[in-house]
Amino acid sequence: MRSKGYALSSYCCPVRILLHSEALASLTAYGNMTEKPHSNGPSATLEVQDLHKSFGELEVLKGVSMTAREGDVVSIIGSSGSGKSTFLRCINLLEMPTSGSIRLSGEELKFKGSGAKRMAADKKQVTRLRSQLGMVFQSFNLWQHMSVLQNVMEGQVQVLGVPKAEARERAESILQRVGLYEKRDQYPAFLSGGQQQRAAIARAVAMEPKVMLFDEPTSALDPELVGEVLKVIRGLAEEGRTMILVTHEMKFARDVSSEVVYLHEGRVEERGAPGDVFNNPSSERFAAFIQTDH
Amino acid sequence: MDWSWLPEYLPRFGEGLWLTIQLLFWSILIGMSLAIPIGLVQVTGPRPLAWLARGFTTVIRGTPLLIQLWLIYYGVGSLFPSMPGIRDSFLWPYLREAFPYAVLAFSLSVAGYEGEIMRGAFRGVPKGELEAARAVGMTPFQVLRRVWLPRALQNTFPTLTGEFILTLKATPLAATITVFEVYGIGSIVRQETYKIYEPLLFVAAIYLCLTGVLVLGFRYLENRIPKQTRS
Repeated sequence: MRSKGYALSSYCCPVRILLHSEALASLTAYGNMTEKPHSNGPSATLEVQDLHKSFGELEVLKGVSMTAREGDVVSIIGSSGSGKSTFLRCINLLEMPTSGSIRLSGEELKFKGSGAKRMAADKKQVTRLRSQLGMVFQSFNLWQHMSVLQNVMEGQVQVLGVPKAEARERAESILQRVGLYEKRDQYPAFLSGGQQQRAAIARAVAMEPKVMLFDEPTSALDPELVGEVLKVIRGLAEEGRTMILVTHEMKFARDVSSEVVYLHEGRVEERGAPGDVFNNPSSERFAAFIQTDH
Repeated sequence: MDWSWLPEYLPRFGEGLWLTIQLLFWSILIGMSLAIPIGLVQVTGPRPLAWLARGFTTVIRGTPLLIQLWLIYYGVGSLFPSMPGIRDSFLWPYLREAFPYAVLAFSLSVAGYEGEIMRGAFRGVPKGELEAARAVGMTPFQVLRRVWLPRALQNTFPTLTGEFILTLKATPLAATITVFEVYGIGSIVRQETYKIYEPLLFVAAIYLCLTGVLVLGFRYLENRIPKQTRS
């Protein structure tokens, strides 16, 4: 079976080796940055520096930085309105960050213009980097006019140019892993929320992304369906996938994360290994946050 | 009732029927390929194009088709013969016919009405599905071709079927500019035989059959799209 090892071996590694020297070179350019995220290094798969985002007058993100090395699971938590979803959506440019830099495997996203007029400079780069950032949405967003199998094949065939037979084979093996092989010919509307979200995760995994972005993947689910989705996400974490997870599931974040980032009003209020921050929170606000409703 | 005239005129009705079908086919084909961009730019912009599209649909939907048809045939059509050299060009055999002007007028009409429907259809596709397509790395054109357009068409399929039936039943207007389709042949029969009701009934029956075929055809297409929502 080509299921498990396939991800890390065939897609990522050659690219990473090629970009290695480039990454080192560009890191030196960052020498004058005042704030650096912890653990900066050439092996950083995803690096976000000083991200700002404003919607009109409202500044939602006020300089957020984050680094994920290969295999890291970074959980972003915070109350609603803290900017955590916006932060995630800025990473693959579903929202255009007002300022700040994003680099994936050392390749920096190129922008032009500034402020509200800021836009990506190289559209091909955007689509390429997006294809390497698997996104899972709160409301699943499966394509309703395609069966589950077609949903999982679509990106491979259209974006990566994988031959159909191969895409089907890969899609079927991934669906097997998320427990939806029997539902592969169903249309999304006939599935439960939990099944839809698992299909959406399969769709993201099929792209063999370097980093997976989860935007509150269980928030739209009935309580009894949360478990099956978390189980799939946990499995992916244990495979060593690099993931950024925006979540309200505090206990889950604590279990699977290598780092927890607590956002408050668009700033990082607390960050660190889950064992440290949950047991000895340095911020009072974070201490209160984890005590109240979670 | 007297149907003794029918055998004599049947071949001409055959020709008329063929003309009606051609007129409908080309009008829907050309009209829809205009309607899709007309609907789309009103949702995506750029603004000047959106205004232009908006203006076009307003004018087309706000004026009678008969007047559009006449303006195009007697107006635009009468400009061509005065152009120097046009009588020698390869286009002349077409420009001198009435049929292309009818196709043009009907296409613009389809573009106007269906453009308005497509605007709503494009807007009605859930944003999240488009975001998911972008997030997977599709180019804007791929998003349109693979997700946005099929989702929009799927939602409006029954509406479009109804619209095309209305277009079919507007085609007799073409007879007023000498395109002798089914109704046009019917009027010829009436003039030559002094029969009033029989030719009209016969013409009506032909349109009824055409509508039936159209409905069945589109229903077949609709059923080929697998059911995607619980009913």
